[in-house]
Formats: sequence, C-alpha cells, structure tokens
Amino acid sequence: MSSERGSATSQRQIESLVCRLRRRQLIGSRETALETVHVIRQVVLRARFRHIDELIGMIKSVGRRLVDAQPKEHTVGNTIRKILHHIREEYNTAAQNSTLKAGPKSGFSISNFVLMGQPKKQSMPQKSSSVERNPESSVQNDSDLAQGLKPVLMEAIQDVLDELETVYDNVSKSAKDHIHSDEIILTIGKSKTVEAYLKSAAHYRNFTVIVAETCPSYSGHEMARILSSAGISTVLVPDSSIYAIMSRVNKVILGAHAILANGGMFAITGSLMASNAARAHSTPVVVCAGQFKLTPLWNLYHQYGALDFADPSSVLGFEEGSLVEKVEVVNPYYDYVNPELLDVYITNDGDHPPSSVYRLIKETYDDEDTEL
Amino acid sequence: MSTATRLQTSPIETMRRREQFDIYSAYRRILGNEKISTPLAAILALTELIEKSNAGTMFELVQALKEGAEVLRKWFTNSISVNAGCELFIAFVTLFPHESADFKDLKIELAEQGRQYVNEAMSYREKIAKLALGFIKDGSVILTHSYSRVVMQALLLAHKQKRISVYVTEARPRGSGIRTHDELTAAGIPCTVVLDSAVAYVMDKVDLVLVGSEAVVESGGLINAVGSNQMAIIAKAANTPVYAMAESYKFHRLFPLSQYDLPTHTPDIHSFPRLRTRPTDSTNVRPSVLQSQVDLSSKQRLPSSTSAHTVSSSEYAMSPEQIRLNPEVDYTRPDLISLVFSDVGILTPEGVSQYLVGMFAG
Repeated sequence: MSSERGSATSQRQIESLVCRLRRRQLIGSRETALETVHVIRQVVLRARFRHIDELIGMIKSVGRRLVDAQPKEHTVGNTIRKILHHIREEYNTAAQNSTLKAGPKSGFSISNFVLMGQPKKQSMPQKSSSVERNPESSVQNDSDLAQGLKPVLMEAIQDVLDELETVYDNVSKSAKDHIHSDEIILTIGKSKTVEAYLKSAAHYRNFTVIVAETCPSYSGHEMARILSSAGISTVLVPDSSIYAIMSRVNKVILGAHAILANGGMFAITGSLMASNAARAHSTPVVVCAGQFKLTPLWNLYHQYGALDFADPSSVLGFEEGSLVEKVEVVNPYYDYVNPELLDVYITNDGDHPPSSVYRLIKETYDDEDTEL
Repeated sequence: MSTATRLQTSPIETMRRREQFDIYSAYRRILGNEKISTPLAAILALTELIEKSNAGTMFELVQALKEGAEVLRKWFTNSISVNAGCELFIAFVTLFPHESADFKDLKIELAEQGRQYVNEAMSYREKIAKLALGFIKDGSVILTHSYSRVVMQALLLAHKQKRISVYVTEARPRGSGIRTHDELTAAGIPCTVVLDSAVAYVMDKVDLVLVGSEAVVESGGLINAVGSNQMAIIAKAANTPVYAMAESYKFHRLFPLSQYDLPTHTPDIHSFPRLRTRPTDSTNVRPSVLQSQVDLSSKQRLPSSTSAHTVSSSEYAMSPEQIRLNPEVDYTRPDLISLVFSDVGILTPEGVSQYLVGMFAG
C-alpha cells in the first residue's frame, strides 16, 4: 500500500520532470543532470525488485522517457548511464563476494583476452558470465542480495550527485596552472564552468579576459558583467572582431554543451568561429567541462537537427514586418567543433586531450547502455 | 584482400622435420572457406597443430606453435596478416591459466578455445558494419579502395537503409576494385571504378573514405593494399574523413615508422636496374600502364578503357618483372585516419595501441 503511494509520488516526479524538459523550462546541462539524479534516486528508493535486472530495467525505462522528452539535453542520458554503471559495479562486487567468485578461468577466452586491452580494470563479459552461470539456483539468493544492496546503491547514486555538485570546484582546481599572469584570454558565451574557472584563477593571477558578445543571445554581455564584478579586467567585443584580436590572445577558453566520443563537442554558436580563428593563429583552445557532459555518441554532427535551434525572433524580429514572410530565419544554438580544433579538455577529473575522450567514455559507461 | 602469395622456394626441409603435421596444407584447406580471413585461418591451423602435437609440457607446446607459425610464415612474401593471427593465438596460449592436472585436457581445451573464437569472430564483420552505419548518412558518396570483405558488408548493410553511391579504385596490380564494383553493382548500389591515379580528381565529390585493412599496427596506423596511403593523404588534404575497418584479430604488434619498416619490404622493391650500358632497351624507362592480365578483364567492363588512348595498352603494359618490384601493401600513418571501426568498438587510432599493450604485455 505504502509502496503504491510511493511509486505514485515518483511517477509524479518523473512526469513533472518530463514536462519541464519538454517545455524547455529546465535548461542547462548541469541542472538537467541534477534533476535526473534526484528523480532516479526516488525511483530506486521506492523500487521493489527481486533481481538487479528488474531495477536496471526500471531505471532504463524512466531514462528513455526523460531522454525522449528532450533529446538535445545529452546530460540526462549520460547521468542515467552513469548511474546504471555504478549500480552494476556495486552489484557485481557484492555478487562476487557472496558467491566466492566463479573462478577466472570460466571467462578466459580469446575474445575476452582481446578485451584485456579495454580501459576497464576487469572486462565486463567475464563478470556477467559469472553471474549468469546458475540463474535458477541463485534466484532466491539474488533477490536477497538485491534487496540488501539498496543502501549501497543509494550511496552509489549519492556519489553521482556529489560529483555533480562539486563539479565547478574540481574543474577550477587547476586554473592557476593554466592561466598565467598578464595573459589575455578569449571566451565566448556564458558558461558557469568557465566563469568558475576564471574566477578561481583570478585569486592568484592578474589577467585580462576578452568576452565576445555572442550574438544573438548576447550571453557574452552577462558574462562580461559577472567577470568584471569579480574584479577581473574584462573587455567586451563584437563577434565579428574575434579573428582580428586573435593575434593578441594567448588562450581561448570555451565551455561545452556536450562532449562527443570522437573528442569533438557541441558548444554555443560562435565557438567554431573562435576555434578556427585560434587555429589560424596557433592559439591554444582549452575547453572547461565536467565529465557529466561526456556523451557516448560519435556521429551527431551528421544530423542537421542535432544542432538545436533557438528562437529566430532574436535574429529577425516581427517589427521587420514585410521581411518576415519572405525569408526563412534559422538560429542554430550550438556549433559542432571538431576535435582537431581543440587542444585540451579540462574536466573535474584531470585534463585530457580530445583523442582520449572515447576512453573516458568507455570507463564511465557500460556499452550496453549506449542505446537506452 | 588476402594478398598472400607463394614464394618460389618452398620450405620443404623445415616441413620434413615436422612430418606429422603439414600446417600449410591445413591452412590452405581452411582458407577454402570464403568467409574465413587469413588471420583466422592461421589460428585454426594452429589449433589443429595443437591437437596433433605430442608436446608434453607448456614449453614444448609453445615451442611447437612458434615453429608452426614460422613454417606458415615462410610460405608468403606478405605474412603480415597471418602473423597477426599467429601472434594473437600464441600470446593467448602462453597466458592461458592452466592449473589443471592433465596436459592433454589442457590441449583439448586450448584447441576448443581457438575454434570457439573463430566461430565468434565470424560475426565481427557484421558488428563492424553496424557500427559504421551511423557514420554513413543518407545520400553519401563513399570512396573505397581495392576489395575488403568487411567494407563490402558495411556497404551492403548501409544500402538496405540509405541511398549510397560508391567510387572504388581499380587497385592495381591485382585489380581487386573490379571485384568490388561487380559485387556492388549486382547488389544495386551505383558504383564507378576510378583509376588509382584519379583519386585526387574524385576526392572533392566524396563524403567519406572507407577502407579495410590487412593489419592495424601499434601506432594506430594501417597496413593495407598499396594505394591506401596516398588515398588517405589526399583525403586529409581535402578534409574528408577516413574510416578504417579492422576486426580485432588484425591488431598487430608492430611499430613501423615508415614504409620501409614493414616486414614486407625487401631491398628489391623499387630498386633501380643496374644498367650495363646506356639505356637503349626501352622497357626499363617505359611508363607503367595497365597490367596485361587485368587489362583484358577490365576492358570489357569499362567502356572508357576502350577509347583511343588505351588501345595501345598492351604495348605499354607493365611487365610482371616490373610489377614484382612494387609493394603489395603500404603503411598509412595514424594522423591520416579519423577512426578505426573494430568489433571491440569505435576507436581513435591511438586507442588501438592500448588494446595491443593490454593483450601482449599482460
């Protein structure tokens, strides 16, 4: 009875999150990730399951609904994948402890041998095969195990939450090592990660930040205001002068919306232009982003729609009257920046070159979750 | 694809020493199956060797396997892919945990593992084809080189869901591109054969380059039918992505720094003739054109080659002697390759080395 009510509450929570995502009331990669963790935590807390696969199935179905509600907020799917990965990991350690491990030999075949090169400490197939060995006899055992596991699972989810909450601090830990005194930094748009990063560096260094105003959202204006009120010397420039001033810039620092497995990223429009200008002047391009933005997709850039489109009225308002009917106005919100243009990702867990992003993704998520 | 060719000198003596088991004929027999690629055939041949072998200790067995691999290798001028299979299997056998009492059981188990792996590996091409699907968008124009079974499978799969058209190079001197062309055309995919020398001409029309491979080496670079390297260089210049496809048993522990570090390179390749007198004999300085044998078959299929310019092709054909002085495979640097599609997932070229280290250093 109480669980009925419990599941109803979590249903309501899911429903509300789906709605807010769909209506774009909830935007921003970190906010959506945080909300997703909260909802999943409720789901796991209320869930009654006899086997771990039931729980995973439940989380996946919730995940699918959330992702479908707003496919362009990639962090929703990423968070789900990460939670699933943590849950499996906890379960497998517990299962191995209780069944006194099925012996490494059963899983040692040539294909697993090839997988030894995989970035994980222990290859997955080996673990799952040891779990599936005697499904009939261990059902009772498993359900006990699964229920007893709940506190551990909740802890695992809490870890994901903690990581999200501390992400800005951890990204900006190394700020003073990357930004030197009297440097001129160029940034574009308003990214909370970049903001935290620059502010943290400002404790130790004196430097100048040039902010491009980032038409048509003009989020650069706000960024410039925030930075200058933090005591950083800030210059606001129009987007069109990015190339012209690049010769004086020491470093370009960008935020990201999503990092793709090939090392490329989605970032606010203008990022591609800034990165290309930086390449032309051999200026390093640094991207600050939390690891929750790692997205196990390779080829999003093929899809035109993947760029996401914003309100065209900021490009061509209705006051233009006669023009509005005659032209089609598109206002893409993101640029796809290819990995060749980027030098390093500064994440909450170390600095990584674009070429090793795929490895981070293999470590963070399970392959079977790529399609939720 | 399997460019293995026989050497004139047969290693009969070495075979006599191992009179019980003729690994080469076993290998040939296995390769009779169209679907089995050279590294897998080598693995199967080695499993047969294990079954037939009377080794009583692990050391003897590994020794026997190494000898068998050596015998097999001697049959080919291009042993790279055979080598990749042999080394994988031998490394596996060496690291196989064997606490069991009876060595006979262990041998049976090892042979069983080898066969099981080959069975499993047969599905790898399908897996790779599926991975590549997401990278081929509707209406793509794809350039491929020579003939590769895994690329064929990817193209045929993509054709079921998307509209694609394919340019394929002729891939001289074997002309394997013609085979690709025939099979794709039969499947209803618009396909045009391109001269190896026209790759730069066609590149601007191409959305992506898809190549198979003989081996992927530790640097993440590629060993493939000669011509792949120039194709990748041109693609890089035109900013076209190059995707390589390789089953994981083709990962090969080799670190070539240039073309001349490949095991297939011999001093003969591209050597200059020693002239006794002034070059009066014009065969030495003739430009290289079509190989006569390929020419016959391709002329029938290619209307363009019947034009006035190439009528005289028989006169300007490269002699077999001249072809022999040319390499069969070349090495493509990793920075020219965008991604490697393999059954263990999509990897950046750097990622390949990680697998190799995991396999062979563990």
